[in-house]
Amino acid sequence: MNEDVYIDYFSVLGLDEECKTGDVRKNYKKMMKDLILEIHSSEVTPDRLDQYLLSMAKLNAGFYILRDDERRNAYIEHRKKVIQLEKQWCETWEKDPTSPDADRFRREYDRILRDFLTKYMEELVLESGRDKECVETSNWDSHHERHASRVLRHYRQKLYSQIHERLPYYDVTQPIINWSEREQTVKQILRRGKE
Amino acid sequence: MAGKNHPIEKKVEQEVIDLALAKAIADGDIVNFRFLFLPYSPLREDSTEDIDSIKYSYLLPTEEEEQSLLFKSALELVSRADIREHVQKELHKKGPAQLPSDLLLALADNAVYHEKFTSASQAFELLRIRRRMQDLFFEEGEKELAKNNISTAVRAYRMASALEYDYSAFPEPLPAVPRYHDQALILHAEYKIRWAECIGNLPLESFLKAGFNYLFLLPEHAGRITVKPLEIQVPFLVELIRQTDPKWEQFVLRVKEVIPLMHDLYQELKMRVDRIADGHLWEDEWDEGLNTEKYLEISEKLLGRKLEQKNWWTYLKELAYEHAPSALFITRQMIGKEQEIIIPRYNFDNPIVQQLSLPLLPEIS
Repeated sequence: MNEDVYIDYFSVLGLDEECKTGDVRKNYKKMMKDLILEIHSSEVTPDRLDQYLLSMAKLNAGFYILRDDERRNAYIEHRKKVIQLEKQWCETWEKDPTSPDADRFRREYDRILRDFLTKYMEELVLESGRDKECVETSNWDSHHERHASRVLRHYRQKLYSQIHERLPYYDVTQPIINWSEREQTVKQILRRGKE
Repeated sequence: MAGKNHPIEKKVEQEVIDLALAKAIADGDIVNFRFLFLPYSPLREDSTEDIDSIKYSYLLPTEEEEQSLLFKSALELVSRADIREHVQKELHKKGPAQLPSDLLLALADNAVYHEKFTSASQAFELLRIRRRMQDLFFEEGEKELAKNNISTAVRAYRMASALEYDYSAFPEPLPAVPRYHDQALILHAEYKIRWAECIGNLPLESFLKAGFNYLFLLPEHAGRITVKPLEIQVPFLVELIRQTDPKWEQFVLRVKEVIPLMHDLYQELKMRVDRIADGHLWEDEWDEGLNTEKYLEISEKLLGRKLEQKNWWTYLKELAYEHAPSALFITRQMIGKEQEIIIPRYNFDNPIVQQLSLPLLPEIS
Protein backbone atom coordinates (compact mmCIF):
# COMPACT_ATOMS: atom_id res chain seq x y z
CA MET A 1 0.00 0.00 0.00
CA ASN A 2 1.39 3.36 -1.02
CA GLU A 3 1.07 5.61 2.02
CA ASP A 4 2.40 8.74 0.29
CA VAL A 5 -1.10 9.76 -0.73
CA TYR A 6 -1.80 10.46 2.94
CA ILE A 7 0.27 13.62 3.00
CA ASP A 8 3.45 12.90 4.93
CA TYR A 9 4.75 16.19 6.34
CA PHE A 10 7.91 14.54 7.63
CA SER A 11 8.99 13.68 4.12
CA VAL A 12 7.80 17.09 2.86
CA LEU A 13 10.46 18.57 5.17
CA GLY A 14 12.94 15.76 4.50
CA LEU A 15 12.75 14.43 8.07
CA ASP A 16 11.73 11.31 9.98
CA GLU A 17 9.30 10.86 12.85
CA GLU A 18 12.06 11.06 15.47
CA CYS A 19 13.19 14.54 14.44
CA LYS A 20 13.49 17.39 16.93
CA THR A 21 11.75 20.77 16.69
CA GLY A 22 15.10 22.36 15.88
CA ASP A 23 15.48 20.13 12.83
CA VAL A 24 11.96 21.03 11.70
CA ARG A 25 12.76 24.74 11.86
CA LYS A 26 16.18 24.34 10.20
CA ASN A 27 14.88 22.27 7.29
CA TYR A 28 11.79 24.42 6.83
CA LYS A 29 13.82 27.63 6.58
CA LYS A 30 16.32 26.12 4.19
CA MET A 31 13.72 24.56 1.93
CA MET A 32 11.56 27.70 1.88
CA LYS A 33 14.59 29.82 1.01
CA ASP A 34 15.48 27.46 -1.86
CA LEU A 35 11.90 27.50 -3.10
CA ILE A 36 11.71 31.30 -3.07
CA LEU A 37 15.01 31.48 -4.97
CA GLU A 38 13.67 29.02 -7.54
CA ILE A 39 10.46 31.03 -7.95
CA HIS A 40 12.41 34.23 -8.52
CA SER A 41 14.73 32.63 -11.04
CA SER A 42 12.09 31.04 -13.27
CA GLU A 43 9.32 32.20 -15.54
CA VAL A 44 6.05 31.85 -13.64
CA THR A 45 3.33 30.38 -15.85
CA PRO A 46 -0.19 29.83 -14.41
CA ASP A 47 0.57 26.11 -14.01
CA ARG A 48 3.84 26.74 -12.24
CA LEU A 49 2.21 29.38 -10.09
CA ASP A 50 -0.22 26.76 -8.74
CA GLN A 51 2.63 24.31 -8.23
CA TYR A 52 4.77 26.84 -6.36
CA LEU A 53 1.85 27.93 -4.24
CA LEU A 54 1.14 24.33 -3.31
CA SER A 55 4.78 23.64 -2.45
CA MET A 56 4.94 26.77 -0.31
CA ALA A 57 1.67 25.88 1.43
CA LYS A 58 2.91 22.35 2.15
CA LEU A 59 6.17 23.61 3.64
CA ASN A 60 4.31 26.12 5.82
CA ALA A 61 1.86 23.45 6.97
CA GLY A 62 4.63 20.93 7.63
CA PHE A 63 6.47 23.42 9.81
CA TYR A 64 3.31 24.59 11.59
CA ILE A 65 2.15 21.05 12.40
CA LEU A 66 5.45 19.40 13.27
CA ARG A 67 6.97 22.13 15.42
CA ASP A 68 4.15 21.85 17.96
CA ASP A 69 4.04 18.59 19.97
CA GLU A 70 0.28 18.54 20.36
CA ARG A 71 -0.42 19.19 16.70
CA ARG A 72 2.34 16.79 15.64
CA ASN A 73 0.98 13.93 17.79
CA ALA A 74 -2.60 14.51 16.66
CA TYR A 75 -1.43 14.45 13.06
CA ILE A 76 0.58 11.23 13.49
CA GLU A 77 -2.37 9.54 15.21
CA HIS A 78 -4.87 10.64 12.61
CA ARG A 79 -2.62 9.50 9.77
CA LYS A 80 -1.99 6.12 11.37
CA LYS A 81 -5.70 5.64 11.94
CA VAL A 82 -6.66 6.35 8.35
CA ILE A 83 -3.95 4.00 7.03
CA GLN A 84 -5.04 1.28 9.42
CA LEU A 85 -8.71 1.69 8.50
CA GLU A 86 -7.94 1.41 4.81
CA LYS A 87 -6.15 -1.86 5.50
CA GLN A 88 -8.97 -3.17 7.68
CA TRP A 89 -11.63 -2.29 5.17
CA CYS A 90 -9.77 -3.84 2.24
CA GLU A 91 -9.10 -7.04 4.18
CA THR A 92 -12.71 -7.39 5.35
CA TRP A 93 -13.97 -6.61 1.86
CA GLU A 94 -11.72 -9.22 0.30
CA LYS A 95 -13.09 -11.88 2.63
CA ASP A 96 -16.75 -11.00 2.11
CA PRO A 97 -17.85 -7.81 0.37
CA THR A 98 -21.44 -8.28 1.55
CA SER A 99 -20.58 -8.50 5.25
CA PRO A 100 -21.90 -5.67 7.49
CA ASP A 101 -18.35 -5.20 8.79
CA ALA A 102 -17.06 -4.43 5.32
CA ASP A 103 -19.70 -1.74 4.91
CA ARG A 104 -19.06 -0.38 8.40
CA PHE A 105 -15.30 -0.15 7.84
CA ARG A 106 -15.85 1.49 4.46
CA ARG A 107 -18.08 4.20 5.92
CA GLU A 108 -15.77 4.81 8.85
CA TYR A 109 -12.72 4.91 6.62
CA ASP A 110 -14.38 7.33 4.23
CA ARG A 111 -15.37 9.64 7.07
CA ILE A 112 -11.92 9.60 8.69
CA LEU A 113 -10.21 10.03 5.33
CA ARG A 114 -12.31 13.06 4.42
CA ASP A 115 -11.64 14.57 7.85
CA PHE A 116 -7.93 13.89 7.48
CA LEU A 117 -7.66 15.49 4.06
CA THR A 118 -9.80 18.47 5.03
CA LYS A 119 -7.83 19.10 8.19
CA TYR A 120 -4.29 18.47 6.97
CA MET A 121 -4.63 19.50 3.36
CA GLU A 122 -6.82 22.52 3.78
CA GLU A 123 -7.68 23.87 7.22
CA LEU A 124 -4.26 23.69 8.87
CA VAL A 125 -2.54 24.70 5.66
CA LEU A 126 -4.53 27.91 5.52
CA GLU A 127 -4.07 28.40 9.27
CA SER A 128 -0.30 28.05 8.91
CA GLY A 129 -0.37 30.87 6.35
CA ARG A 130 -1.48 33.19 9.16
CA ASP A 131 1.21 32.02 11.57
CA LYS A 132 3.70 34.79 12.36
CA GLU A 133 6.82 32.72 11.75
CA CYS A 134 5.47 31.25 8.50
CA VAL A 135 4.46 34.70 7.26
CA GLU A 136 7.93 36.06 8.02
CA THR A 137 9.72 33.22 6.25
CA SER A 138 7.46 32.72 3.25
CA ASN A 139 5.94 36.21 2.81
CA TRP A 140 2.58 34.51 2.63
CA ASP A 141 -0.27 37.05 2.52
CA SER A 142 -4.02 37.35 1.89
CA HIS A 143 -3.52 37.13 -1.91
CA HIS A 144 -1.75 33.81 -1.49
CA GLU A 145 -4.53 32.59 0.77
CA ARG A 146 -7.27 33.55 -1.64
CA HIS A 147 -5.61 31.78 -4.53
CA ALA A 148 -4.51 28.84 -2.39
CA SER A 149 -8.08 27.93 -1.41
CA ARG A 150 -8.82 26.77 -4.95
CA VAL A 151 -5.43 25.10 -5.42
CA LEU A 152 -5.73 23.23 -2.12
CA ARG A 153 -9.27 22.07 -2.83
CA HIS A 154 -8.11 20.79 -6.21
CA TYR A 155 -5.15 18.98 -4.63
CA ARG A 156 -7.21 17.52 -1.78
CA GLN A 157 -9.93 16.21 -4.08
CA LYS A 158 -7.38 14.83 -6.52
CA LEU A 159 -5.69 12.98 -3.67
CA TYR A 160 -9.06 11.64 -2.58
CA SER A 161 -9.73 10.47 -6.11
CA GLN A 162 -6.28 8.83 -6.33
CA ILE A 163 -6.86 6.97 -3.08
CA HIS A 164 -10.34 6.02 -4.17
CA GLU A 165 -8.98 4.47 -7.37
CA ARG A 166 -7.00 1.81 -5.55
CA LEU A 167 -9.84 0.80 -3.21
CA PRO A 168 -12.31 -2.01 -3.88
CA TYR A 169 -15.26 -1.09 -6.10
CA TYR A 170 -18.35 -0.56 -3.96
CA ASP A 171 -20.57 1.95 -5.75
CA VAL A 172 -20.28 0.05 -9.03
CA THR A 173 -19.45 -3.58 -9.71
CA GLN A 174 -15.82 -4.12 -10.66
CA PRO A 175 -15.58 -3.57 -14.40
CA ILE A 176 -13.64 -5.94 -16.59
CA ILE A 177 -11.99 -3.66 -19.09
CA ASN A 178 -10.56 -5.02 -22.30
CA TRP A 179 -8.39 -2.17 -23.51
CA SER A 180 -8.07 -3.35 -27.09
CA GLU A 181 -11.87 -3.48 -27.22
CA ARG A 182 -11.94 0.03 -25.75
CA GLU A 183 -9.67 1.22 -28.55
CA GLN A 184 -12.06 -0.23 -31.09
CA THR A 185 -15.00 1.46 -29.36
CA VAL A 186 -13.23 4.82 -29.52
CA LYS A 187 -12.63 4.32 -33.24
CA GLN A 188 -16.28 3.36 -33.75
CA ILE A 189 -17.55 6.40 -31.86
CA LEU A 190 -15.39 8.64 -34.02
CA ARG A 191 -16.49 6.88 -37.21
CA ARG A 192 -20.17 6.98 -36.26
CA GLY A 193 -19.85 10.71 -35.76
CA LYS A 194 -18.62 11.09 -39.31
CA GLU A 195 -21.50 9.19 -40.88
CA MET B 1 -50.92 6.15 3.29
CA ALA B 2 -47.72 4.31 2.56
CA GLY B 3 -45.08 4.20 5.24
CA LYS B 4 -43.20 1.86 7.51
CA ASN B 5 -46.41 0.35 8.87
CA HIS B 6 -48.22 0.30 5.55
CA PRO B 7 -46.04 -1.47 3.01
CA ILE B 8 -46.88 -0.77 -0.60
CA GLU B 9 -47.99 -3.66 -2.68
CA LYS B 10 -47.05 -3.19 -6.28
CA LYS B 11 -45.31 -5.22 -8.90
CA VAL B 12 -42.93 -3.73 -11.42
CA GLU B 13 -42.64 -5.97 -14.46
CA GLN B 14 -39.16 -7.01 -15.55
CA GLU B 15 -39.95 -5.75 -19.04
CA VAL B 16 -40.57 -2.23 -17.71
CA ILE B 17 -37.30 -2.30 -15.75
CA ASP B 18 -35.46 -3.40 -18.90
CA LEU B 19 -37.07 -0.69 -21.01
CA ALA B 20 -36.29 2.10 -18.52
CA LEU B 21 -32.68 1.02 -18.07
CA ALA B 22 -32.17 0.53 -21.80
CA LYS B 23 -33.52 4.00 -22.52
CA ALA B 24 -31.17 5.65 -20.00
CA ILE B 25 -28.25 3.72 -21.48
CA ALA B 26 -29.14 4.46 -25.10
CA ASP B 27 -29.59 8.15 -24.25
CA GLY B 28 -26.29 8.19 -22.34
CA ASP B 29 -28.21 9.74 -19.47
CA ILE B 30 -26.44 9.16 -16.15
CA VAL B 31 -28.92 11.24 -14.15
CA ASN B 32 -31.88 9.05 -15.12
CA PHE B 33 -29.79 5.91 -14.79
CA ARG B 34 -28.79 6.68 -11.20
CA PHE B 35 -32.30 7.81 -10.39
CA LEU B 36 -33.62 4.37 -11.33
CA PHE B 37 -31.61 2.87 -8.45
CA LEU B 38 -32.35 5.49 -5.77
CA PRO B 39 -34.47 4.53 -2.72
CA TYR B 40 -37.51 6.35 -4.16
CA SER B 41 -37.04 5.01 -7.69
CA PRO B 42 -40.34 4.09 -9.35
CA LEU B 43 -38.72 0.78 -10.31
CA ARG B 44 -38.54 -0.28 -6.67
CA GLU B 45 -41.48 -2.26 -5.44
CA ASP B 46 -41.30 -0.65 -2.01
CA SER B 47 -41.33 2.89 -3.37
CA THR B 48 -44.42 5.09 -3.36
CA GLU B 49 -43.50 6.29 -6.85
CA ASP B 50 -45.31 4.70 -9.75
CA ILE B 51 -43.54 4.12 -13.07
CA ASP B 52 -46.92 4.10 -14.88
CA SER B 53 -47.60 7.63 -13.71
CA ILE B 54 -47.53 10.27 -16.45
CA LYS B 55 -44.75 12.16 -14.65
CA TYR B 56 -42.39 9.26 -15.27
CA SER B 57 -43.26 8.76 -18.93
CA TYR B 58 -39.91 10.38 -19.79
CA LEU B 59 -38.14 7.36 -18.31
CA LEU B 60 -39.65 4.99 -20.87
CA PRO B 61 -38.83 4.90 -24.59
CA THR B 62 -41.21 6.06 -27.31
CA GLU B 63 -42.06 3.64 -30.13
CA GLU B 64 -39.65 5.49 -32.38
CA GLU B 65 -36.84 5.29 -29.83
CA GLU B 66 -37.39 1.57 -29.47
CA GLN B 67 -36.42 1.17 -33.13
CA SER B 68 -33.00 2.79 -32.76
CA LEU B 69 -29.91 0.59 -32.94
CA LEU B 70 -28.48 2.06 -29.75
CA PHE B 71 -31.66 1.22 -27.86
CA LYS B 72 -31.84 -2.31 -29.25
CA SER B 73 -28.29 -3.03 -28.27
CA ALA B 74 -28.86 -1.55 -24.78
CA LEU B 75 -31.99 -3.66 -24.37
CA GLU B 76 -30.05 -6.76 -25.32
CA LEU B 77 -27.47 -5.93 -22.68
CA VAL B 78 -29.95 -5.29 -19.85
CA SER B 79 -31.78 -8.52 -20.71
CA ARG B 80 -28.70 -10.59 -19.93
CA ALA B 81 -29.52 -13.04 -17.12
CA ASP B 82 -26.62 -12.05 -14.85
CA ILE B 83 -27.39 -8.34 -15.24
CA ARG B 84 -31.11 -8.85 -14.59
CA GLU B 85 -30.25 -10.80 -11.47
CA HIS B 86 -27.91 -8.07 -10.21
CA VAL B 87 -30.39 -5.29 -10.99
CA GLN B 88 -33.19 -7.13 -9.15
CA LYS B 89 -30.93 -7.66 -6.16
CA GLU B 90 -29.98 -3.98 -6.01
CA LEU B 91 -33.58 -2.83 -6.45
CA HIS B 92 -34.59 -4.93 -3.46
CA LYS B 93 -31.60 -3.92 -1.34
CA LYS B 94 -31.93 -1.43 1.51
CA GLY B 95 -29.21 1.16 1.17
CA PRO B 96 -27.20 2.53 -1.76
CA ALA B 97 -27.25 0.34 -4.85
CA GLN B 98 -24.12 -1.00 -6.50
CA LEU B 99 -24.47 0.00 -10.15
CA PRO B 100 -23.75 -2.66 -12.77
CA SER B 101 -20.51 -1.64 -14.49
CA ASP B 102 -21.38 -3.23 -17.85
CA LEU B 103 -24.41 -1.00 -18.14
CA LEU B 104 -22.48 2.03 -16.98
CA LEU B 105 -19.77 1.44 -19.56
CA ALA B 106 -22.32 1.18 -22.40
CA LEU B 107 -24.00 4.33 -21.09
CA ALA B 108 -20.68 6.20 -21.03
CA ASP B 109 -19.89 5.23 -24.63
CA ASN B 110 -23.32 6.36 -25.81
CA ALA B 111 -22.97 9.59 -23.87
CA VAL B 112 -19.71 10.37 -25.69
CA TYR B 113 -21.37 9.55 -28.99
CA HIS B 114 -24.26 11.94 -28.19
CA GLU B 115 -21.67 14.50 -27.01
CA LYS B 116 -23.19 14.46 -23.51
CA PHE B 117 -19.75 14.84 -22.07
CA THR B 118 -20.61 15.59 -18.46
CA SER B 119 -22.62 12.39 -18.36
CA ALA B 120 -19.82 10.43 -20.00
CA SER B 121 -17.11 11.73 -17.72
CA GLN B 122 -19.17 10.99 -14.61
CA ALA B 123 -19.74 7.42 -15.77
CA PHE B 124 -16.07 6.92 -16.69
CA GLU B 125 -15.04 8.44 -13.36
CA LEU B 126 -17.28 5.99 -11.49
CA LEU B 127 -15.67 3.18 -13.46
CA ARG B 128 -12.25 4.72 -12.66
CA ILE B 129 -11.18 4.74 -16.29
CA ARG B 130 -11.83 8.38 -17.18
CA ARG B 131 -8.18 9.45 -17.52
CA ARG B 132 -7.32 6.37 -19.54
CA MET B 133 -10.29 7.00 -21.83
CA GLN B 134 -9.15 10.59 -22.29
CA ASP B 135 -5.72 9.29 -23.30
CA LEU B 136 -7.31 6.87 -25.78
CA PHE B 137 -9.20 9.69 -27.47
CA PHE B 138 -6.04 11.83 -27.61
CA GLU B 139 -4.06 8.90 -29.04
CA GLU B 140 -6.74 8.31 -31.65
CA GLY B 141 -6.65 12.01 -32.48
CA GLU B 142 -2.90 11.76 -33.05
CA LYS B 143 -3.34 8.79 -35.38
CA GLU B 144 -5.98 10.66 -37.38
CA LEU B 145 -3.72 13.71 -37.58
CA ALA B 146 -0.94 11.53 -38.94
CA LYS B 147 -3.36 10.39 -41.66
CA ASN B 148 -4.31 14.03 -42.25
CA ASN B 149 -7.95 13.36 -41.26
CA ILE B 150 -8.31 16.74 -39.61
CA SER B 151 -12.05 16.52 -39.00
CA THR B 152 -11.88 13.21 -37.12
CA ALA B 153 -8.72 14.29 -35.30
CA VAL B 154 -10.45 17.43 -34.07
CA ARG B 155 -13.46 15.39 -32.98
CA ALA B 156 -11.19 13.04 -31.04
CA TYR B 157 -9.38 15.95 -29.40
CA ARG B 158 -12.63 17.67 -28.49
CA MET B 159 -13.97 14.48 -26.92
CA ALA B 160 -10.78 13.87 -24.98
CA SER B 161 -10.72 17.42 -23.68
CA ALA B 162 -14.41 17.36 -22.78
CA LEU B 163 -13.91 14.32 -20.55
CA GLU B 164 -11.90 16.48 -18.14
CA TYR B 165 -12.84 16.62 -14.47
CA ASP B 166 -12.76 19.66 -12.24
CA TYR B 167 -11.30 18.59 -8.91
CA SER B 168 -11.50 22.08 -7.48
CA ALA B 169 -15.29 22.21 -7.83
CA PHE B 170 -17.11 22.82 -4.59
CA PRO B 171 -18.15 20.80 -2.62
CA GLU B 172 -17.37 17.71 -4.72
CA PRO B 173 -15.40 17.22 -7.95
CA LEU B 174 -17.55 17.59 -11.05
CA PRO B 175 -17.08 17.19 -14.79
CA ALA B 176 -15.33 20.24 -16.18
CA VAL B 177 -17.49 22.28 -18.53
CA PRO B 178 -16.59 25.03 -20.99
CA ARG B 179 -17.28 28.50 -19.61
CA TYR B 180 -16.76 30.55 -22.73
CA HIS B 181 -18.94 33.38 -21.42
CA ASP B 182 -16.44 33.84 -18.56
CA GLN B 183 -13.32 33.03 -20.55
CA ALA B 184 -14.22 35.61 -23.19
CA LEU B 185 -14.34 38.30 -20.51
CA ILE B 186 -10.87 37.31 -19.31
CA LEU B 187 -9.66 37.38 -22.91
CA HIS B 188 -10.93 40.96 -23.29
CA ALA B 189 -10.33 42.15 -19.74
CA GLU B 190 -7.86 44.76 -20.93
CA TYR B 191 -8.82 47.51 -23.38
CA LYS B 192 -6.43 47.33 -26.32
CA ILE B 193 -5.10 50.75 -27.25
CA ARG B 194 -3.37 49.51 -30.40
CA TRP B 195 -5.04 47.44 -33.06
CA ALA B 196 -1.99 45.25 -33.30
CA GLU B 197 -2.69 44.07 -29.76
CA CYS B 198 -6.22 42.87 -30.54
CA ILE B 199 -6.46 39.09 -30.48
CA GLY B 200 -7.52 38.85 -34.11
CA ASN B 201 -4.55 40.96 -35.16
CA LEU B 202 -1.91 38.99 -33.27
CA PRO B 203 0.84 37.27 -35.29
CA LEU B 204 -0.33 33.84 -36.46
CA GLU B 205 1.55 31.82 -33.87
CA SER B 206 0.27 33.91 -30.95
CA PHE B 207 -3.23 33.88 -32.38
CA LEU B 208 -3.19 30.07 -32.62
CA LYS B 209 -2.00 29.77 -29.04
CA ALA B 210 -4.69 32.14 -27.80
CA GLY B 211 -7.32 30.28 -29.84
CA PHE B 212 -6.43 26.80 -28.60
CA ASN B 213 -6.09 27.95 -25.00
CA TYR B 214 -9.51 29.55 -25.18
CA LEU B 215 -11.33 26.73 -26.93
CA PHE B 216 -9.89 23.76 -25.04
CA LEU B 217 -10.78 23.13 -21.41
CA LEU B 218 -7.19 23.05 -20.17
CA PRO B 219 -3.92 24.63 -21.35
CA GLU B 220 -2.40 21.09 -21.29
CA HIS B 221 -4.86 20.04 -23.97
CA ALA B 222 -4.03 23.10 -26.04
CA GLY B 223 -0.33 22.41 -25.49
CA ARG B 224 -0.65 19.08 -27.28
CA ILE B 225 -1.46 20.86 -30.52
CA THR B 226 0.54 24.09 -30.21
CA VAL B 227 3.78 22.12 -30.38
CA LYS B 228 2.91 20.92 -33.89
CA PRO B 229 3.90 22.70 -37.12
CA LEU B 230 1.76 25.63 -38.26
CA GLU B 231 0.60 23.66 -41.33
CA ILE B 232 -1.24 21.37 -38.92
CA GLN B 233 -2.32 23.98 -36.41
CA VAL B 234 -4.06 26.24 -38.94
CA PRO B 235 -6.52 23.70 -40.43
CA PHE B 236 -6.94 22.20 -36.98
CA LEU B 237 -8.08 25.51 -35.48
CA VAL B 238 -10.39 26.20 -38.43
CA GLU B 239 -12.04 22.80 -37.97
CA LEU B 240 -12.13 23.19 -34.18
CA ILE B 241 -13.96 26.50 -34.58
CA ARG B 242 -16.47 24.97 -36.98
CA GLN B 243 -17.10 21.97 -34.72
CA THR B 244 -17.34 24.09 -31.57
CA ASP B 245 -19.79 26.45 -33.25
CA PRO B 246 -21.87 24.62 -35.86
CA LYS B 247 -23.72 27.92 -36.53
CA TRP B 248 -20.51 29.80 -37.36
CA GLU B 249 -21.87 31.02 -40.72
CA GLN B 250 -24.54 32.96 -38.86
CA PHE B 251 -21.83 34.95 -37.09
CA VAL B 252 -20.05 35.57 -40.41
CA LEU B 253 -23.28 36.99 -41.87
CA ARG B 254 -23.65 39.28 -38.87
CA VAL B 255 -20.10 40.57 -39.30
CA LYS B 256 -20.93 41.39 -42.92
CA GLU B 257 -24.03 43.26 -41.76
CA VAL B 258 -22.09 45.57 -39.42
CA ILE B 259 -19.46 46.61 -41.94
CA PRO B 260 -21.33 49.76 -43.16
CA LEU B 261 -21.77 50.89 -39.56
CA MET B 262 -18.09 50.27 -38.82
CA HIS B 263 -17.21 52.30 -41.88
CA ASP B 264 -19.31 55.25 -40.63
CA LEU B 265 -17.87 54.96 -37.14
CA TYR B 266 -14.28 54.98 -38.35
CA GLN B 267 -14.95 57.98 -40.59
CA GLU B 268 -16.49 59.89 -37.72
CA LEU B 269 -13.65 58.97 -35.36
CA LYS B 270 -11.10 60.00 -37.95
CA MET B 271 -12.83 63.31 -38.50
CA ARG B 272 -12.73 63.97 -34.78
CA VAL B 273 -9.06 63.08 -34.55
CA ASP B 274 -8.33 65.49 -37.41
CA ARG B 275 -10.34 68.24 -35.72
CA ILE B 276 -8.39 67.74 -32.50
CA ALA B 277 -5.15 67.95 -34.48
CA ASP B 278 -6.36 71.17 -36.15
CA GLY B 279 -7.29 72.65 -32.81
CA HIS B 280 -11.03 72.79 -33.60
CA LEU B 281 -11.99 70.29 -30.88
CA TRP B 282 -10.81 69.84 -27.32
CA GLU B 283 -9.30 66.43 -26.71
CA ASP B 284 -11.46 65.73 -23.69
CA GLU B 285 -14.58 66.60 -25.67
CA TRP B 286 -13.79 64.16 -28.46
CA ASP B 287 -17.09 62.29 -28.10
CA GLU B 288 -19.40 65.28 -27.92
CA GLY B 289 -22.37 64.86 -30.22
CA LEU B 290 -21.33 61.36 -31.28
CA ASN B 291 -24.41 59.30 -32.09
CA THR B 292 -23.72 56.44 -29.67
CA GLU B 293 -27.17 54.90 -30.19
CA LYS B 294 -26.34 54.36 -33.85
CA TYR B 295 -23.07 52.60 -33.11
CA LEU B 296 -24.50 50.51 -30.30
CA GLU B 297 -26.26 48.75 -33.14
CA ILE B 298 -22.91 47.12 -34.00
CA SER B 299 -23.00 45.11 -30.77
CA GLU B 300 -26.70 44.40 -31.24
CA LYS B 301 -26.26 43.22 -34.80
CA LEU B 302 -23.32 41.01 -33.88
CA LEU B 303 -25.42 39.34 -31.22
CA GLY B 304 -28.56 39.36 -33.31
CA ARG B 305 -30.70 41.06 -30.68
CA LYS B 306 -30.90 44.06 -28.34
CA LEU B 307 -30.10 43.71 -24.67
CA GLU B 308 -31.49 45.80 -21.88
CA GLN B 309 -28.03 46.34 -20.41
CA LYS B 310 -25.94 47.99 -23.05
CA ASN B 311 -22.52 47.23 -21.54
CA TRP B 312 -19.92 45.77 -23.84
CA TRP B 313 -19.38 42.87 -21.43
CA THR B 314 -23.05 41.88 -21.45
CA TYR B 315 -22.95 41.62 -25.23
CA LEU B 316 -19.62 39.81 -25.16
CA LYS B 317 -20.84 37.24 -22.61
CA GLU B 318 -23.94 36.43 -24.59
CA LEU B 319 -22.11 36.37 -27.89
CA ALA B 320 -19.46 34.01 -26.48
CA TYR B 321 -22.21 31.79 -25.14
CA GLU B 322 -23.85 31.53 -28.56
CA HIS B 323 -20.79 31.67 -30.82
CA ALA B 324 -17.86 30.76 -28.58
CA PRO B 325 -15.07 31.29 -31.18
CA SER B 326 -16.35 34.76 -32.08
CA ALA B 327 -14.48 36.12 -29.03
CA LEU B 328 -11.25 35.59 -30.98
CA PHE B 329 -12.32 37.93 -33.76
CA ILE B 330 -13.74 40.91 -31.90
CA THR B 331 -12.39 43.69 -29.74
CA ARG B 332 -13.63 46.47 -27.48
CA GLN B 333 -14.11 49.90 -29.04
CA MET B 334 -14.81 53.17 -27.21
CA ILE B 335 -17.59 55.25 -28.73
CA GLY B 336 -17.77 57.69 -25.87
CA LYS B 337 -15.94 58.46 -22.67
CA GLU B 338 -18.22 56.08 -20.83
CA GLN B 339 -19.48 53.89 -23.62
CA GLU B 340 -17.85 50.91 -25.27
CA ILE B 341 -19.09 48.44 -27.83
CA ILE B 342 -17.78 45.17 -29.21
CA ILE B 343 -16.67 45.31 -32.78
CA PRO B 344 -15.12 42.81 -35.23
CA ARG B 345 -11.35 43.15 -35.53
CA TYR B 346 -8.96 40.73 -37.18
CA ASN B 347 -6.18 40.53 -39.69
CA PHE B 348 -7.58 39.59 -43.07
CA ASP B 349 -4.18 38.13 -44.07
CA ASN B 350 -4.53 35.53 -41.32
CA PRO B 351 -5.23 32.25 -43.20
CA ILE B 352 -7.71 31.24 -40.49
CA VAL B 353 -9.77 34.37 -41.09
CA GLN B 354 -9.99 33.59 -44.79
CA GLN B 355 -10.79 29.92 -44.31
CA LEU B 356 -13.60 30.88 -41.96
CA SER B 357 -15.10 33.14 -44.69
CA LEU B 358 -14.84 36.27 -42.57
CA PRO B 359 -15.08 39.47 -44.68
CA LEU B 360 -12.50 42.20 -45.15
CA LEU B 361 -13.03 44.88 -42.51
CA PRO B 362 -12.82 48.66 -43.03
CA GLU B 363 -9.63 50.28 -41.74
CA ILE B 364 -9.14 53.58 -39.97
CA SER B 365 -6.32 55.61 -41.43
